[in-house]
Amino acid sequence: MRTDFAFVGVMLVTAALLMGVTLIAASLLRPKKPSKAKLETYECGMETVGDTWVQFRVQYYILALVFVLFDIEAILLFPIAVAFNSLSFFAVANVILFIVVLLIALLYAWRKGALDWE
Amino acid sequence: MTIQQVLFIVIALAVLGAAIFVVTTRNLFRAALMMIAAFFGIAGLFVLLDAGLFAVAQVLIYIGAISILVIFAVMLTRGMQGMVPRNSQATAAAVTVAVVFAVLLLLFGPLRLTLDLARWPVISLFAANVSPRDVGGIEWTPPGQAIPAVPDTYIADFGRSLVDLNQYLLPFLLIAFLVDVVLAGAIFIARQRRPAEIVEDRQRQAEEETEEAEAMRRAGVLPGAASLPEGAVASASDH
Amino acid sequence: MNVINDLLKIIGDFIAGIINSIFSFSPFLADVVTMGLAAVILCTFAALSFMGLTYVERKVVARIQDRVGPNQAGPLGLLQPLADGIKMFTKEDTTPAAADRWVYNLAPLVIAVFALTTYAVLPFAPGVVGTNLNVGVFYIIAIGSGSIVAIIMAGWGSNNKYALLGAFRTVAQLVGYEVPMLLNVLPVVMIAGSMGLTDIITQQTTLNGNPGIPFIVFFPLSALVFLISGIAETARSPFDLLEAESEIVAGFHVEYSGMKFALFFLGEYVNALAVAFVFSTLFLGGYAGPVLPPYIWLLLKAAAVFFVFMWLRGTLPRIRVDQMHNMNWKFLVPVSIVHLVVVMALMKLFVTNPAQVQANGGILVTPGVQAAILFTASIAILIGSLVIAARRARIMRLQEEAVLEQRRAENIAAVSV
Repeated sequence: MRTDFAFVGVMLVTAALLMGVTLIAASLLRPKKPSKAKLETYECGMETVGDTWVQFRVQYYILALVFVLFDIEAILLFPIAVAFNSLSFFAVANVILFIVVLLIALLYAWRKGALDWE
Repeated sequence: MTIQQVLFIVIALAVLGAAIFVVTTRNLFRAALMMIAAFFGIAGLFVLLDAGLFAVAQVLIYIGAISILVIFAVMLTRGMQGMVPRNSQATAAAVTVAVVFAVLLLLFGPLRLTLDLARWPVISLFAANVSPRDVGGIEWTPPGQAIPAVPDTYIADFGRSLVDLNQYLLPFLLIAFLVDVVLAGAIFIARQRRPAEIVEDRQRQAEEETEEAEAMRRAGVLPGAASLPEGAVASASDH
Repeated sequence: MNVINDLLKIIGDFIAGIINSIFSFSPFLADVVTMGLAAVILCTFAALSFMGLTYVERKVVARIQDRVGPNQAGPLGLLQPLADGIKMFTKEDTTPAAADRWVYNLAPLVIAVFALTTYAVLPFAPGVVGTNLNVGVFYIIAIGSGSIVAIIMAGWGSNNKYALLGAFRTVAQLVGYEVPMLLNVLPVVMIAGSMGLTDIITQQTTLNGNPGIPFIVFFPLSALVFLISGIAETARSPFDLLEAESEIVAGFHVEYSGMKFALFFLGEYVNALAVAFVFSTLFLGGYAGPVLPPYIWLLLKAAAVFFVFMWLRGTLPRIRVDQMHNMNWKFLVPVSIVHLVVVMALMKLFVTNPAQVQANGGILVTPGVQAAILFTASIAILIGSLVIAARRARIMRLQEEAVLEQRRAENIAAVSV
């Protein structure tokens, strides 16, 4: 199994090397004439005002939290799905219970307006 | 030394370095990024432990979800950039962590472990030196003994054990409820309040504080602080 | 051994044999060199297909919109990708003075690397696969998290409000649409009994007594939702909200130019092609097919899926951000969950394996009957959910119109006074 993953590691390293070489080659080929105006932050030709760190809406956080919920659900369901053919009725009923409980969470978030994006 | 041991040491050192960067850097966002790097390294360690499923789960949950959550949370804070984070209890935290780590090392250090997924937890930590022995479903293998290979069907075994009444069915269902509760709590805290509600809240708070200060002044706790109520109102309406 | 059918495997074995004989003194080194070479070949394949696809896509979308498309560089504009490449290589690229240099420069590299790494598990023909992971599908979805991190890095590293806003929007979209994707891979894993892509294809061939029915027949709804969320995951039209020029300039890569921008572009296309490959593998039987060699079948299927992507891009208008979130959380996710529960119940009720019937009960049916039952159920859920959604949407639209009408009447009254 770890030998199966060896190729993934090799692929990561190879891809990083190839892309790195591309970037370096491009940096050797291209002109490099920076000027003050060029290096300014782009904002439709105007000078930027204030900090980049603007206040974000809390909506993003809630959505990410709902996502974590379903991510955990999926992660637990995948091994069960692999074993699905040999599961008993009782086991499948429990899996369905698990899913329904999480569906209730989604419906709760929906009713509370956490999923609305105006 | 086998290639796997070399890789283990390299990855472990990288994870350690990233973790140290996380706790020492002043830049919150870079700390979050290095935390992601550390998570990725831990996924590599899982692979070396023959637990491919957990490696992938680590990437999916910790890099794909938890880190995003952390970064969103960081972005929700305002004006953190100019602030220098200070921790007055750094020493206490360091001592606590060192003690806990030492205890863990003493308890489990000289032993290597593999997960035995098909066994119900039997607490026999303090039983006579049986090897390998069962501790909470985890099979401990003493040093010098070959680690039993993970079976090819470990994913299906894990799946079956999750829905087996005699194994992890209860924790499995509890996870669903726990996550529900967490979500409900977060939605309650982060609920969007109408502007009128917020103004009302602030007014009520200010009034309460004024009354409190008034009562205190009357009781003579703060003698000669006649101008306090105004100050209290001002500070209350600030937040 | 049929030479044409196993062409890729024969060439691969031949090269591996040469490497093994050169590095006969160390099997470990031979392995590393073989894997490295395979990785280089896969990366080159992905990069070349990226170049080809940019041309094909521009041509196809142009045709759909009654334009000509690129036609200046070479015959029929065939050298356009090359010209683009030369331009990208020689274009000046700037690092904004305010940027976080490390994060800013690493982001394109990270996105390209993770996009290319997806190809490590795609099976192109029997025995021709980078590595046959037993967690294949799971791996592909997980490795997509890498691009999410890269997008956040790009947005934050640029130190530009538009870039950061665009990055956040994109990330919210990507994480959201990962949920229906995961939920709709589950039925396939359930019926195949494995997460390995090769095993999933084997289950869809007629070998070893398998029925040889593509999984799209079992789960048409899953296939549809997977396709939609795949398009959203790769942020292609109509889900290309990050490129809404009128709102957030160009999204998270507004500050990038030259080769770094090209790497973002590469990541996008390579991911889209990977989704096409994965869709063909999961639902259309992958490389399985009669007469033609397997790799040709896979390429044909992936090309067909990618053509659908291009078609949608040429046809549909971009959707709004609230529509995008509503579509996901209020339609795709609930429908996928209901579908998943129904599939679980039906698959336990109608079993194809006699041994399982003896052990756990259930009704023994042939795979064809099981497919028919699941297909009917899927279509019923699809039609039912569409009817409910349409009814709700109509109610909401009427309410909105009533409010608008009232406001208009008030305005008229105010003007006439």
